[in-house]
Amino acid sequence: MPITLEKLSHTYQEGSPFQATALHDINLTIQDGELLALIGHTGSGKSTLAQHLNGLLKPTAGRVLLDGQDINQKDADRRALRFRVGLVFQYPEHQLFEETVRKDIGFGPRNMGLSEQEVEQRVHEAMDKTGLVYDEVGEKSPFELSGGQMRRVALAGVLAMKPDILVLDEPTAGLDPRARDFLLSDIARLHREGTTVVMISHSMDDVARLATRVAVLEKGRLVMEGPPGDIFTQVDRLTAMGLDVPQASKLRHELEAEGIVLPPCYLLDDLADHLAHRLKGGAADAT
Amino acid sequence: MLRDITLGQYYPIDSPVHRLDPRIKILLTMAFIVCVFLVGSPLGYLPIAAYLAWATWMARLPAKMMLRSMRPLRILLIFTFVLNLFFGTGDTELLRLGFIRVTQEGLYNAIHFSLRLIFLVIGSSLLTLTTPPVTLTDGLESLVSPLKVIKFPAHEMAMMMTIALRFIPTLAEEADKIMKAQSARGADFTSGSLKQRAQALIPLLVPLFVSAFRRAGDLAMAMESRCYRGGEGRTRLHVLKTGRKDWLAVASIAVLYAVVLLMARYV
Repeated sequence: MPITLEKLSHTYQEGSPFQATALHDINLTIQDGELLALIGHTGSGKSTLAQHLNGLLKPTAGRVLLDGQDINQKDADRRALRFRVGLVFQYPEHQLFEETVRKDIGFGPRNMGLSEQEVEQRVHEAMDKTGLVYDEVGEKSPFELSGGQMRRVALAGVLAMKPDILVLDEPTAGLDPRARDFLLSDIARLHREGTTVVMISHSMDDVARLATRVAVLEKGRLVMEGPPGDIFTQVDRLTAMGLDVPQASKLRHELEAEGIVLPPCYLLDDLADHLAHRLKGGAADAT
Repeated sequence: MLRDITLGQYYPIDSPVHRLDPRIKILLTMAFIVCVFLVGSPLGYLPIAAYLAWATWMARLPAKMMLRSMRPLRILLIFTFVLNLFFGTGDTELLRLGFIRVTQEGLYNAIHFSLRLIFLVIGSSLLTLTTPPVTLTDGLESLVSPLKVIKFPAHEMAMMMTIALRFIPTLAEEADKIMKAQSARGADFTSGSLKQRAQALIPLLVPLFVSAFRRAGDLAMAMESRCYRGGEGRTRLHVLKTGRKDWLAVASIAVLYAVVLLMARYV
């Protein structure tokens, strides 16, 4: 069930003095089963793009196709679409409202018109997937929980709808390192189990570790797109855009400037291997 | 959706009218309103209309913006016109349809009062279109500060208004975001019976209140940590200044008064 963006443009408040173009002529296809990372500077249009994927925003020009169908057609069922493409906003814990965690996670499934029994089952599953213990927090108020737990409740609220495609807008922003690692391993597991994931992130190391493909936005335009190996080796170009690069890419780049050329890599483990190999080789040369 | 809410009607461009001292602008608007009430006949609105046209031109505002400010009032305007037209007193009958009669005096009043309403609205929106709300509050604070003598909390009032105004776009944005987040979970804000729709607002209102209280707490803390303790002895970053252009504006309204009063007497 691929999503295709065709010449997508979006302008906020068109025709007013506050007019602002957020997206410009984007062509991008999200393939089944991939984990696509969207990176770019603040204000580059990442969040705007994410909100087009489930029809919350309508393109000013261009089309969004899901399975070849234009999702903004007059007769399209946009509500059904939102259950298929689950969108988790930035700081999703700010959307929690119910008296208990259980009810809040059940909000989506209940809107789908499922029976109470099915809702209950989905809540259980979603809590399992996000590492929440039903008997522990199920009856608690979401406002009693820690920030990291609230974030997981919000994520569970979207997962409970069993979307085919999961769109995450900066899922780890503002979390402490432990909560962050938990959440990232949840996301990695969901992806492994077959969910297509689109993730917006500022953390290049997370992206390097998880993504199967990376798309770079700058000022509303799609400027780079490809596997992380292709993107993160272009250190100078990313840096010129004001973007960070994974630590391994940075170190490799700095070593190269010193005349130590290693094979292309962007993951710390690979870099460590290359270095170890070279150091051993160097030792062998000396003797 | 909610993003369309612009704060007040402020039209952000630069013009001589935008740059006037807000205090002078407030006083001029009040003077203008009084002036509109001094007009005695429909013909007397000519100088008023000319003055507004000139002021709009000076403010570099598109005429469309001015007309748009009339939109919320169209119902009231129609009522004013129709009531005066059909239920006016007077003897010179123009038309009779059953118990409804249109008299010459009725027609005259209908036109007179409708024009008065139109010019009042356009005149006051000229103030809100050319002055950012926060500047407006600054001007108001300065104008009512003499009342501090009788313990009127001028600074506190202005600070409250400024904070409230400052947070309208923030909360609107927040509401928009929460609404989208709940829509992403299948919430439906637009269909259903009145009761269903009221219930559908709960997932919006609860998070919105939670966030408003959190923001209020943060703001209070931030103000405290910068040693805020009320208006006493507080200096301003932007000191309001009255200059030559302000006195020119005052002069222009004085001319308007002269013309209107002369017309009321001789025309």
